Amino acid sequence: MEKACIDINQLINVFSNYEGAVYQSDKLNCFYVDFGGKFARYNCLSLQKLKKVVEEINIEALLLDTHRADFELVTFNGCEHIYLLNALEIIALKDLLHGTFTMFNLNHMVNDCLYRLVY
Amino acid sequence: MKDLMRIKCLISQDIETLLNQQIKKEAHSSSLYLSMASWCNQNGYDFSSDYFTKQSEEERMHQLKLFKYVLDMGGNAISPEVTGIKTDFAGFREVFEDALEAEIAITQSFKNLASRCLKEQDFVTMEFLNWFLKEQREEEYKARRALELFEVIGEEGTGRWEIDKHVNDITYSED
Repeated sequence: MEKACIDINQLINVFSNYEGAVYQSDKLNCFYVDFGGKFARYNCLSLQKLKKVVEEINIEALLLDTHRADFELVTFNGCEHIYLLNALEIIALKDLLHGTFTMFNLNHMVNDCLYRLVY
Repeated sequence: MKDLMRIKCLISQDIETLLNQQIKKEAHSSSLYLSMASWCNQNGYDFSSDYFTKQSEEERMHQLKLFKYVLDMGGNAISPEVTGIKTDFAGFREVFEDALEAEIAITQSFKNLASRCLKEQDFVTMEFLNWFLKEQREEEYKARRALELFEVIGEEGTGRWEIDKHVNDITYSED
């Protein structure tokens, strides 16, 4: 999905690093990952799957294996998007998703405390 | 900002991972008990074979109970791969020693899970785990009592035959 189609002002920046950013849409209950020249939409489950797939990439093995290119295709079953990333980009995506989920946890803690106080 | 992950799922990623690990452990136990049942049957310990078959069914039931909980809470329950099941045992006593060891490992694992729930203040999962913690009292009791038969009756003469005959008499009562 192109960035131009979405009103960026309605999105909340969850986390960003030097290579990309993850946004949340409270209106559509989904996420947008701005990374590697793509602005891709994900739901909760698919974002978790993306994180799992990226975390499972062994960067050390990727760099040490001389029989294959230093690139990795990142996708999973049912995913509409595909990324072709080099080692540095994988590190950046790992960092981006790790930061994003840390922010989710932080947001959960804040929400949890607020709900308990209000209700 | 809405907590979208929470809207989708009641349990956290860490708890979900631990529950999936527990599902795998229960599946492993179920297979191990079945392997023990097979060994006992082949070596003429028919009553013990029945005992371990029943234990295997119970572990499978525990696995499915955990599996359903993860799904009911909106999580991703993973059907586990079970490998490395011990199929050969040095003797009748070793089977029961391994059974007790497996139960102790399961109890420890549940304690670890409960500890994580308390840390996260996930009282919903904690309440669910209470059933399993109670169940482990019975499981460990039965495994320990079975092993104690080897001390009480002894393995000499018709000892092992007597032990086999009494294994199914072991019952646990809270009162």
